[in-house]
This record gives sequence, C-alpha cells and structure tokens, in this order.
Amino acid sequence: MGLDDLTRLSIVEAGDQIRRRSLSPVELTRAYLNRIQRTNGEFLAYITVLEEHAMAAASTAEHEITRGNYRGPLHGIPVALKDLVLTRGVRTTCGSRILKDWVPSADGTVAIRLHEAGAILLGKLNMHEFAYGPTGVNPHYGTARNPWDRTRVPGGSSSGSGAAVAAGLCAGALGTDTGGSVRIPAALCGIVGLKPTYGRVSRAGVIPLAWSLDHVGPMTRTVADTALMLQALAGRDPADPSTADVVVPDYRAALEKGVRGLCVGLPKDLFFERVDPEVRNAVLAAAQLIEDLGASVQEIALPAISHASAASFAIITAESTAYHEGYLKTRAAEYGADVRARLVTGQFVLATQYLKAQRARRAIRAEVDAALTRVDAFLTPTTPIPAPLLDTRELTLDGHTEDVRGWLTRCTRPINVTGHPALSVPCRLTVGGLPVGLQIVGRYFDEATVLRIGHAFEAVSPMKGRWPPEVA
Amino acid sequence: MAPISNQLLQSIGQELSRIPTDQEDLTSAAVQLNAQADGLLRLDDLDLLNVEPATVLLPPSEDSRGAR
Repeated sequence: MGLDDLTRLSIVEAGDQIRRRSLSPVELTRAYLNRIQRTNGEFLAYITVLEEHAMAAASTAEHEITRGNYRGPLHGIPVALKDLVLTRGVRTTCGSRILKDWVPSADGTVAIRLHEAGAILLGKLNMHEFAYGPTGVNPHYGTARNPWDRTRVPGGSSSGSGAAVAAGLCAGALGTDTGGSVRIPAALCGIVGLKPTYGRVSRAGVIPLAWSLDHVGPMTRTVADTALMLQALAGRDPADPSTADVVVPDYRAALEKGVRGLCVGLPKDLFFERVDPEVRNAVLAAAQLIEDLGASVQEIALPAISHASAASFAIITAESTAYHEGYLKTRAAEYGADVRARLVTGQFVLATQYLKAQRARRAIRAEVDAALTRVDAFLTPTTPIPAPLLDTRELTLDGHTEDVRGWLTRCTRPINVTGHPALSVPCRLTVGGLPVGLQIVGRYFDEATVLRIGHAFEAVSPMKGRWPPEVA
Repeated sequence: MAPISNQLLQSIGQELSRIPTDQEDLTSAAVQLNAQADGLLRLDDLDLLNVEPATVLLPPSEDSRGAR
C-alpha cells in the first residue's frame, strides 16, 4: 500500500491494522505529514504543522504497541485540533492576529483525552477568527478551501477541520460548535461531524465563543470513526462544571443495531422552508432510505423552533462580547472587520433580552423534548444550501435575500439553543458536485441512537466511499 | 418602531460600555440589531411566566457517592 493510500484508511481500518501490527504508526504519520507538506498550500487547512512532535509521538506509540501496551482504537492514529483547543507548548491562535504568538502552558481536556487514548497530534487547524462565523473566511491565515471545489468555502467555523478531514490531511479532527461550526463544515465538505449533547464533552481549555452554546465535537470520514473519537472524549470533567455525570455507553457497539423498530421524525417547520430544492430532495431521499431500512418516519411539528434564531442571536452576541470586552477596548484594530463588527453588536443587547432568550431556550427545549418522546430522533438538512463561493455575502432563494451567515446556520443553531446531540452525515452530491449534509437530532445524552441511525444510513448512502475529485 | 440608528448606538457605546467603535462597525451593528428586533420581540409569544433562565445554577444535590 502506497503512502497516499494509507491516508485513505478510516480510523477503524487503520486502528485494526495497527492493533494487528500490520501497520506502523510511524509509517501512517509520515504518510499524513507528506500529504500535508504537498497539499496544505492548496487547502490552507493547517495553521501549525507539528512535524517533529508528531513523528516522535508516533515512534513512542509504536514502541508501546510493540511492547504489548496497546491503548485502544485511537492508538497511533494521526489527528488534528481546531486551533482554539489549548496545547501546552504549541501556539494556539484561535485563527486571530491577537493570539498569533500565544503559547499556552496547559492542554485542554479534550487534547489530554486524545493523547491518553494514544492519538498522534499532527497540528492545529485553520478556523474562522475566534470561531465567530460559519464560512471559515479568515483574513489573517487565508481561508481554508473546500476540497470539493476550491472556489468555495469549506464552512465554519471549524473550516480547517472540515477541509483537512475531507482532503485526507488527518484521520480525524476536533471542531467546536456554537451555532453549527462542526456540522456546517462537515456538511459542506462531505464528511461526518457530531455536536454532542451540551455537557457530554468538556470545554475546559477551549477558547470560548459563547459559554452556554459552545460544544466540542469530532469530525471524521465515517460515523464509526466519530463514535470512536466520542468514546475517548465523552464524560464528566471536574474542570468543566457544565459536564454531566452521565454514563458513557459503548458507542461503537451500538452502531450495529440497525434502525428497524426506530421511529424517525421529519419536522416540517423552519427546517424545510426556503431550502435549495436539491438539498430538500437529498434529505427527503435520505429519509426514504432510512424508512426502507426498517425505521418508521412520521411528520412532527416544532413551532417554537422559529424563535431559536432570535434567542441564539441575543445569547451569542452578549456572551461573545462579554468574553472579548478587554481585547475590544485595547486591540480592536487587530480583529478582522467581520468579527469586530459582530463583537461590537453585543454591547447593545439588553440584559433583559439576554435573559428572555435564556428563558426561551428552556421553552424551545421542552418542545423538542416532547417531540422526542414520540420519535427516537428527527431529520433535517444540515444547511439549506450547499457550499457558497468564497466571496458570497448574500444569497437569494425563493425571493428571500439573506446574509450568507444566516443561510448557513438556519438549521443548526436551533440545536445549540436546545443542547440536543446532532450529527451531520453526507447524503448526496448536487448536480454541481457539492456535498449535502443530513442532520440527525436525538434525545439528550443519546448520541448512541443518533450514531446508529447515521451508521445505518451511511451504509446505503450514495456518498458512501466518495472522495472529492480534486483529492482523488 | 423606528429603526435603531448609528447615533443611538454611538451614545450607548460611549456612555455605557466604552468600547471604541467606528462608523462602519456601528452601521453593521445597526443592521444586525434591526434584523433581529422583531424576532426578539416575538419571544414574548412564548409562555415564559414560570420559566427560569437556562443560566440558573442548580445546587449540587447528588454525586456518584450519593446525596450530599
């Protein structure tokens, strides 16, 4: 198998070979680093590549495994982190000029957990500045490119994570998701991305955007790989009081149960209004495939979801401005124009509006919880549109013109407001060759069912095994 | 309802939050706030009388070793 072929292996495949000692972590890591060296200039997925560190860690992993100290399915697997996860001794820019030289003295909990599972850190990934935008456009480090079409955005804010996984520049990555920032790049780049339940994965040592909406989640090429990464990440962390002491099940074991007997909802509210017809058809076809696999599908109503956008706006603007106030007063000129303008807005949101939004989210969550007593999960598009061109500011669809940020986040940000787990799985290519994402939303702390549905669908999806033509 | 103006935002910024802003930022802020104004008012359509905000911290009652 050639070096490039090694970067085509899923985490499950590579992990099985490493466990059987038919694949060396050193060889696998070298394959990824070679590929990064050759193509990162095209995709701009990485801000920092840790070549020496990665090779040393791979060598350590190889010695451990040879001595019989095998840690599990992530041992020796090369991964990368969105550049807002703190890494001890490695600069953490958050995609910003303000933090361009900042070197943390401690690791974030998720970095520690991946390290303890034996994963190899290849580097730190590009992102929308301070995670505040869904396109990934970055004036400081260049905009990561969509591997399916380099004239289009990869989606954000975890833009480098989406581009790197889709382009075979790491086996898996971490992103963060405040309004869709894991799921949007996953959908636009044709990969899998999971926003776990709020409280499932620690946010300690991750630079916040909006504390009460932020989630950390894995991004991979298959659902089974996402399950493996979640297994390593999930669970209570004393350093993050928002994490819950809830049992972490065996996610991979749950994957093989199929969907027979499950009931899946299709909400006809906001999620299917003003959606690109190709996206709508792809998601409805995915629902049909899931029904063909043995699940029942029924329409559900979620009228309160229409309030989620306003609630999200008040919360995200107020919380992000509160976090950035110090930098805004002293280093405002160092922000990119789009992020500074959004941060400035937060000072004008009233405290009463913020608290009303925090009360509204309880009401919206209650409605979603009630719907999820009737169905096991529900399906929506991840984004109403496929990847826009790099310079797109506004889009018009069905006579409605809106900022591209509003289009991209419409189906994802309500789920940050409620905190439910949500998975994006690739479900089809448009006629123009752009991926469409299917969003699967489940009950609190029931990532297992969401992954199970995603895994069953993936096996019959028209996207199964597809790679971007420019990468292939 | 009259749209939110740059001048209003500039006054609030100068007097209350004291975050330096230029006219371009204020124009963008006004656009965002005006776009969301109706949606924020419509939150009143929800029955929130007995709903506490999601930010309320609950006292620890139990942990894995039982009730405290």
